[in-house]
Amino acid sequence: MDDHQNVCKESTYSELFHAHSKTIFNYIYYKFGNKEKAHDAVQEAFVKLWENCAKVTPGKAKSYLYTVANNLYLNVIKADKVRLKYADKTLKTIHETPEFIMEENEFKAKLDKALNDLPENQRSTFLLNRIDGKKYAEIAELEGVSIKAIEKRMHLALKTLREKIDGI
Amino acid sequence: MQENYLAKWLNGELSEKEVSEFKKSKEYASYLKIANASQDLRAPNFDVNQSWELLQAQNAQKHPKVITISPFKSFLRVAAVIAVLLTGAYFYINTLDDNIKTQLAENKEIILPDNSEILLNAESELSYSEKNWDSKRAIKLEGEAFFKVAKGKKFTVTTDQGTIAVLGTQFNVENRDGFFEVTCFEGLVSVTIDGEEQKLPAGNSIISLNGNITKSQVEINGQPSWLNQESSFKSIPLKYVLAEFQRQHNIEVELKDIDENLLFTGTFSNIDRDLALKSISTPLQIKFKLEGNKVLFYEESAP
Repeated sequence: MDDHQNVCKESTYSELFHAHSKTIFNYIYYKFGNKEKAHDAVQEAFVKLWENCAKVTPGKAKSYLYTVANNLYLNVIKADKVRLKYADKTLKTIHETPEFIMEENEFKAKLDKALNDLPENQRSTFLLNRIDGKKYAEIAELEGVSIKAIEKRMHLALKTLREKIDGI
Repeated sequence: MQENYLAKWLNGELSEKEVSEFKKSKEYASYLKIANASQDLRAPNFDVNQSWELLQAQNAQKHPKVITISPFKSFLRVAAVIAVLLTGAYFYINTLDDNIKTQLAENKEIILPDNSEILLNAESELSYSEKNWDSKRAIKLEGEAFFKVAKGKKFTVTTDQGTIAVLGTQFNVENRDGFFEVTCFEGLVSVTIDGEEQKLPAGNSIISLNGNITKSQVEINGQPSWLNQESSFKSIPLKYVLAEFQRQHNIEVELKDIDENLLFTGTFSNIDRDLALKSISTPLQIKFKLEGNKVLFYEESAP
């Protein structure tokens, strides 16, 4: 992002919104499983950014948005159940036997439960990577932690998920 | 296996050797399944455009606070400075006295707010406050002027050599270097020279030559001679006569072997230069030589 541009400029602000609003929504949803709160967090973060547009450079805007969104519910709300859908492509595969589909659904239910049992930080980091394709470095930047800390979360998340699903 | 190898594996950072070793483990199948399945997960729908519109509505309310106020503030700041400057300039200009000046060989007529008239002779200057004229009829004068004062409050003329105070009359003031003359043509004029007040009735003139005060009667034909384009003198040292000649004709005068304190009585034209030169030289029995803008007066017997 070019720092000569000003966040107060309508076009820059709009670009930032269209680039980040969806992921901020997801990020908050992964943590708390609450769509309303995730919507509110997006609004709150961007309103705050607009109010402080003169102070926040475009380069800093992204981490500013995530920080505001994250702090909004920090220690305030208890996480609800995170409900995630599966992409349509698995349903389109029509070659599967009924047994396979049953097995598959059973697995999905287990995965769903295991994900919900994960700590908020691990769940949001894991899903930002798996669903939104965010690189570890990017997640580290917006969470304000080291890449290694993100790797640790990913590792623990995957390990815990497998243990829960395999029933260990 | 290295630290956080599951994260490295997901990110494709494991070496081939490490990958093949990992594939042999019994947990690998489960990990692979979780990794693939989790990639197919989808978050709830988020309508970017709807959210953007909602945000725009929210920001619109805060818009004036953030964007509009600051340029407006700086505009106000600039406007305030301009207003102060304009007000200051207005009052400053208002307190300035009106100033009227004549060049060499130039006369001016000034009508004052109370219809008093001033005729300003050549190379003279006067100033007065037009704004305060009704409360204070006061004039500062350098040079020579004729006054026709309308009846009213005290009218004062201040010069560096003396002060004239009247109520309503016609008088002439000549205030030149070392030469101060007041002539009253109508009514009564009060003249103060060096703190000494003198009453000057119509038809009288008072002259101060370097502090020596003499009074004399003058012919009363209603107005001073310079208003008829003439300069009249009665027993006045030649240097003052020539000084007036220079002022009226914008010419440079030089004297050779001539006493500048010779007394001159007579009149010269303020328009016709050659006639004026003769008017001055003939009664004094001296000669003159005119060269461009210079005139040399010399003794008849001198070469």
